[in-house]
Amino acid sequence: MNDLALAAKTEAALKPKISAKGVDVYYADNHAIKNVDVNILDKTVTAFIGPSGCGKSTFLRCLNRMNDTIDIARIEGEILLDGEDIYDPKVDPVQLRAKVGMVFQKPNPFPKSIFDNVSYGPRIHGMARNKAELEEIVESALRRAALWDEVKDRLLAPGTGLSGGQQQRLCIARAVATAPEVLLMDEPCSALDPIATAQIEELIDELRQNYSLVIVTHSMQQAARVSQKTAFFHLGNLVEYGETGHIFTNPEDSRTEAYITGRIG
Amino acid sequence: MTDIAMPGAPRKGSLLVRDARTARRNAAEARFRTYGLIAVLLGLLALVVLVVSIIGNGASAFRQSYVTVPVTLLEEKLDKSGTRDPAVMAKVSTFGYAPLIAAGVQDAMDAAGIEIEGLSTKGAGGIVSKDAPAQLRDFVLSNPGLLGQTVDFTFLASGRIDGYFKGRVTAQTAALDKNVSPEQLLLADALKEAGALETRFNWSFITAPDASDQRPEAAGLGVAILGSFYMMLVVLALALPIGVAASIYLEEFAPKNRITDVIEVNISNLAAVPSIVFGILGLAIFINFAGLPQSAPIVGGLVLTLMTLPRIIIPSRAALQAVPPSIREAALGVGASKMQTVFHHVLPLAAPGILTGLIIGLGQALGETAPLLLIGMVAFVREYPSPPIDGIFDPATALPVQIFNWTQRSDPAFVERASGAIIVLLIFLLIMNLTAILLRRRFERRW
Repeated sequence: MNDLALAAKTEAALKPKISAKGVDVYYADNHAIKNVDVNILDKTVTAFIGPSGCGKSTFLRCLNRMNDTIDIARIEGEILLDGEDIYDPKVDPVQLRAKVGMVFQKPNPFPKSIFDNVSYGPRIHGMARNKAELEEIVESALRRAALWDEVKDRLLAPGTGLSGGQQQRLCIARAVATAPEVLLMDEPCSALDPIATAQIEELIDELRQNYSLVIVTHSMQQAARVSQKTAFFHLGNLVEYGETGHIFTNPEDSRTEAYITGRIG
Repeated sequence: MTDIAMPGAPRKGSLLVRDARTARRNAAEARFRTYGLIAVLLGLLALVVLVVSIIGNGASAFRQSYVTVPVTLLEEKLDKSGTRDPAVMAKVSTFGYAPLIAAGVQDAMDAAGIEIEGLSTKGAGGIVSKDAPAQLRDFVLSNPGLLGQTVDFTFLASGRIDGYFKGRVTAQTAALDKNVSPEQLLLADALKEAGALETRFNWSFITAPDASDQRPEAAGLGVAILGSFYMMLVVLALALPIGVAASIYLEEFAPKNRITDVIEVNISNLAAVPSIVFGILGLAIFINFAGLPQSAPIVGGLVLTLMTLPRIIIPSRAALQAVPPSIREAALGVGASKMQTVFHHVLPLAAPGILTGLIIGLGQALGETAPLLLIGMVAFVREYPSPPIDGIFDPATALPVQIFNWTQRSDPAFVERASGAIIVLLIFLLIMNLTAILLRRRFERRW
């Protein structure tokens, strides 16, 4: 790679993919997120860490408007995806969620076949003109999720019959199949054993080549292993946001330091 | 950690010795189990008594005595003009046919060499059902060519003779009964001996229409079964789409506010409204206001739809609620719209529960009597309703109403009929519930 290309890549990486400004979230009267400003970069893994109930999952769910499904949730402020306000009344959350995919804490494959699980997104978004194209999309999504070799002979078997780690990779494949630009992961490894966790983390690192990833995690080691940027949330505030190495070795805020050294949380 | 004294001392004592408290707890548990067992046994006992009494009373309704007699179709009685003109022949009423049947019975007696003292020819004819002349007349009017010949006919035996073979009538009761004489019973015995009278399975109990008070042996459930079937069609066609649509809307789409709260409470209330109230509503709205015909399955079906709706909506909503939210999140997460989420993922998973609710609701509707009484379904209907869709506007009765109707009649033969009809109704309900179970097994999926 020559210097020019490298410079262009750095330039692209520095441009914020998602930029949140003054975001407040309320659940009825509960002020869950307080005035959060954050810029999430493209082709970067951003980790959200913090103690339980600090609002990191809530904030993550704001990024693809999953909070819309909760009647009592109310969001103020501005979240821009590539400079467009995703809470603009003209935005259809369905289109947004095709661009901003999500993987959940508990593996939640549809009770259908592996093929149907992965092909569902492309099918409803009309991404394939025929069956051959659809099969191609499914294969490439499963390959990206490092699941293809394990399931290629039983694509018609139910997705719920896979092991926990395989199910979670199936969910990642399902999210990847709709060709999103951002992938949100809400504690994707909390229900998995260390081996499956290692596979998913490896996968996250590979996916970073093409996507902007945001991962919520309770494991600080995981955050340190997979992310380049880390945001520390505490009681609904974004306390500190910066380079992962910097946050873990040289935190600026005393609360961050207390959390990563295990004194609070 | 500072030293904080724990309340109470550490437990001491052998594990092999049961302390008083444990013994009391175990006794309480044993008592509770006994109560439970007694409750279950009482329930089972009640069920057994019910089934035994119904089957004991009603099973005989499915068997009926038939007499086979050679009837000579005398031309001078049935077609005096000799023109074979149907219009002229139709002028001979059933009264003209009755003596021919009596003569036929006499012929059968003569052929078998039976002689019974004190039994006239007319009396001998009395062992045949009062339905027989009508059957013979219908036959002659459609086959005028057979006039003058002798044809073997199988007629229903009269209700009392049939009752004699079922143990309901004895020589003692016959002596006090003006509808039957001890001599007729002797004749019946003799004819049975000769093979001219037999008791066999009675299809016409299921297919024939109702019959009048004097002819319990001819009464059947045909019209009632058709009427019930048509009503179920109406209920299915209306309650399924309305109920499922309402529950999907309320569960998945409706905003949670005061109005939907009120609607929810009222749906639960409607499920508890006595069914006769729906009957009054049906009478006032569908018959008096909308002008639909009385006694028609369409009105019964509409009333039962109103009654069944909450009973479908409530289990359907429960089934939708039972679908794990993770499935909804998964679908929304890949960019499915609300409606795609519901129809592609939630509804298939809730389908077994919805189907079960629907079939149980239909089963309740099938057994419902009270509202049908008010809209005139408790009628004496001998005409079969036409095939659907016109048929749902024709007068008909329904199974439970037919049972109610028969229990009102004076002839003891109708007690047997009513119990037989209950068996038919229970078989239908059993089939429906079995279908519900099978469908649930078939479509239930794990996730």
